[in-house]
Amino acid sequence: MSDYVVSVVSNMGMIAFIALSAYILLVIGEISFGQQAYFGIGAYISGVLTAMWGWPLWLAMVLGCAVAGSAALIIGSLTLRLSGIYFAIATLSFAEMIRLGLLSVHVQVEIDGELVGPEGAEGFGDIRWIFENDVTPFEFMTVIYVLLVGVLTILFWVERSRLGTVIRMVGSDPLLAQAQGIDVVFYRLLATVFAGIIAGLGGSLYAHFATYIEPNVFNVMLGVHSLAYGLIGGLGTAVGPLIGVGLDIGFLEGVRVFQGYRMIAFGGLVAVLLIFMPRGILDEERVHRIKRWLERS
Amino acid sequence: MLTVGDVFTSYGMIKALNGVTLSASEGEITCLLGPNGAGKTTLMFTIAGILRAQAGSIKFDGQSIERLSAAKVVEAGIALVPENRLVFPTMSVEENLEAGAFIRVAKDRAGVDDDIERMYMRFPVLKERREQMAGTLSGGEQQMLALARALMSRPRILLMDEPSVGLAPLIVEDIFQIIRDVNADGMTILLVEQNANMALSVADKFYLLEHGRVTFEGAPGELEQDEVIRRAYLGTE
Amino acid sequence: MAIERELFAKMVDFVQNCIDGIMIGAAYGLLAIGFTIIFGVMRRLNLSFGPSIMLGAFFGTWAFLTLNAAPWMVLAITIAGTVITGIYVERLCFWAIRRDATIASMVSSFAIWMQLDEVAILMLPGRTYPFPEMFVSGGLNFGPFFVRAEHLVTLLVTILMVVGIRLLLYRTTFGLALRAVSESSDAAKYMGINPSRITFLAFILVSLIGGVAGYLLLATDQQVTPYFGLWVTFKGLIAMMLGGMGSIPGAIIGGLVLGIIETQTQWYLGNAFKDMSAYVVLFLALVLRPGGLLGQGIAERQDLAFRRV
Repeated sequence: MSDYVVSVVSNMGMIAFIALSAYILLVIGEISFGQQAYFGIGAYISGVLTAMWGWPLWLAMVLGCAVAGSAALIIGSLTLRLSGIYFAIATLSFAEMIRLGLLSVHVQVEIDGELVGPEGAEGFGDIRWIFENDVTPFEFMTVIYVLLVGVLTILFWVERSRLGTVIRMVGSDPLLAQAQGIDVVFYRLLATVFAGIIAGLGGSLYAHFATYIEPNVFNVMLGVHSLAYGLIGGLGTAVGPLIGVGLDIGFLEGVRVFQGYRMIAFGGLVAVLLIFMPRGILDEERVHRIKRWLERS
Repeated sequence: MLTVGDVFTSYGMIKALNGVTLSASEGEITCLLGPNGAGKTTLMFTIAGILRAQAGSIKFDGQSIERLSAAKVVEAGIALVPENRLVFPTMSVEENLEAGAFIRVAKDRAGVDDDIERMYMRFPVLKERREQMAGTLSGGEQQMLALARALMSRPRILLMDEPSVGLAPLIVEDIFQIIRDVNADGMTILLVEQNANMALSVADKFYLLEHGRVTFEGAPGELEQDEVIRRAYLGTE
Repeated sequence: MAIERELFAKMVDFVQNCIDGIMIGAAYGLLAIGFTIIFGVMRRLNLSFGPSIMLGAFFGTWAFLTLNAAPWMVLAITIAGTVITGIYVERLCFWAIRRDATIASMVSSFAIWMQLDEVAILMLPGRTYPFPEMFVSGGLNFGPFFVRAEHLVTLLVTILMVVGIRLLLYRTTFGLALRAVSESSDAAKYMGINPSRITFLAFILVSLIGGVAGYLLLATDQQVTPYFGLWVTFKGLIAMMLGGMGSIPGAIIGGLVLGIIETQTQWYLGNAFKDMSAYVVLFLALVLRPGGLLGQGIAERQDLAFRRV
């Protein structure tokens, strides 16, 4: 695999995490414009831990995810009463607060005669863990995909279990779910925290893959893209967001014909797709039909 | 005046009407009874042009209306009083009435103002509340407003969908008295009702609709009252 | 004496910030009105509102740069460009998509946003372009206070437009239909109103408003970048949410509050906190008072609907 292919494929893998994160919120019936905040938190926390404090990567990632998950818990609890556009804008505000906040974080330490650490809008470079530990890009890509498969396994397992049914019920009609004796608040927060952790995981991978991050990477465009991926791919299954990511980053990046017109092509494609498939390519109905077909054959 | 001939309507994959034939005569109150899910509201929506019939004909005064848009159906002289009233909640009572006369308010401002005054004479409670937001009216008042609003388009036939839904029995009596009064002034009415007792007390003719088909038609008294009520609620199985 | 003078100078600063805030906030208010009208008739969010205005302004700038168009021509072209783009967005993202598919419409309007950005960049590949100044420039002194002429024009045009919009909504048949569709598009249909026609006309109206607001903002700043689209969408959304959705006075008040918050924080805390403060206030407002500052919000309407049934 050429370096270019490895970097595109790795990118797809990392963006898939935040796309899945936005997808989980769509499943519980909420639109979030703010998942990039957890992605950014994961990136910054784990980056600081490895680059400045010399922690091992796995531990830094665990803590990055934990902080992202805690932030999701706090924001999730504060926004419990909100839904629809109110929820969307509240999450957007939070994410922008994080991004703008990071713009004024200047914490640097001297390591080997060089200043390392977040430097506001100048960004945070020299997150050199993979160089220091001789991890090749290909190996790191493998790590990304092993973790992605892990997350997907959890999601598929949830989808098939009672928990998945309960979460879909909370998403499609919270009042009805409540009337059925389901603890809506608990499941909503559970899904929100899990979504935060996944986004944090993606972010902590991203920081170490890119070795340089800056607050503006985690702007609202990233959030709305990840939201769109789920909707393009379909809300019926966790494969949906991956299709969206593949279509945008993989297909259009790969097909050089659209060079310079990529967004016109992609935007038009998505708009037309949504006219015919308003709940995405793999919506609930199609997923159901495919499952039945698989069972029969 | 209004004849529905062999109409088929589907909601997506579900067939709601399977060849309904009925007619409403001028100056009469025609009732449509039947259990939940029999297709009563679907029929109303199909006549009003909100849903499209897959097959069959709907004629109003001899003119085919089954292809007309909802707006054209209103212009032809058919007004719908929807289930659950659906008043415009944060608009005032008077604005609701104006909205009811939307199809002619631009051409005939004076006529609309006259009609609003006429509605206030008929429904004095609406006059008292003319500046109030419609969403703050009681259920019965909202039903009166919905009825008055429908009359504002100067229809020749009124389609009423479940006017008694969610109202206290005493209020239901009032509403049906108003229906009688409106009819006494010459308005043709097609009434969908769950409350078979009330409906039969005002109907000149009634139809029983079950599983998207008419299973009985006749005048009140032609079928044992208990039997009608039983079938109106439960259908025949 | 010295202390008093210092206090007076502080007061002057504060009031001057409020004046500047109100002037900028007036344009925010217009943007918020655009959002609130569209959200009202469709119950769907048009993320492409800002980018449509941005593209309209790029047409205006293009005409200014290549054809040397006069300010009033730039204004006309900006408005026309916004209206055409608005119609394109409406047809593709809203009219063509089922009315109940709200998320699909929103994502579609985002996809089209990407398109509009790229069209702007293809048209003028540099990042920043000058935008011609208004017919007037300079400013006026009122005692210790100073008001820029552009700001004064913005305020006056906003007042005129708000009065015009109010008359249109409350004194015309179109306004009646638009309000009826906003309250209940089903019931409006039963009255013989065609909701998709009203939506289409509302898009044209809103594009007109947006085109004017965009022109006022850009002619004050005298430069335009593709980021203007993002900026407009979020300023408009924030102002609308601050004031409470579904109300014209709310939109204006939200715009003014946003303008004042921004200028005050910029003055006292510095540029870095200008945008931050708006988001903090919005977040707190949403969490503490979901209906907005002026409460004819959806939350209250839903309450009303519950009480009714």
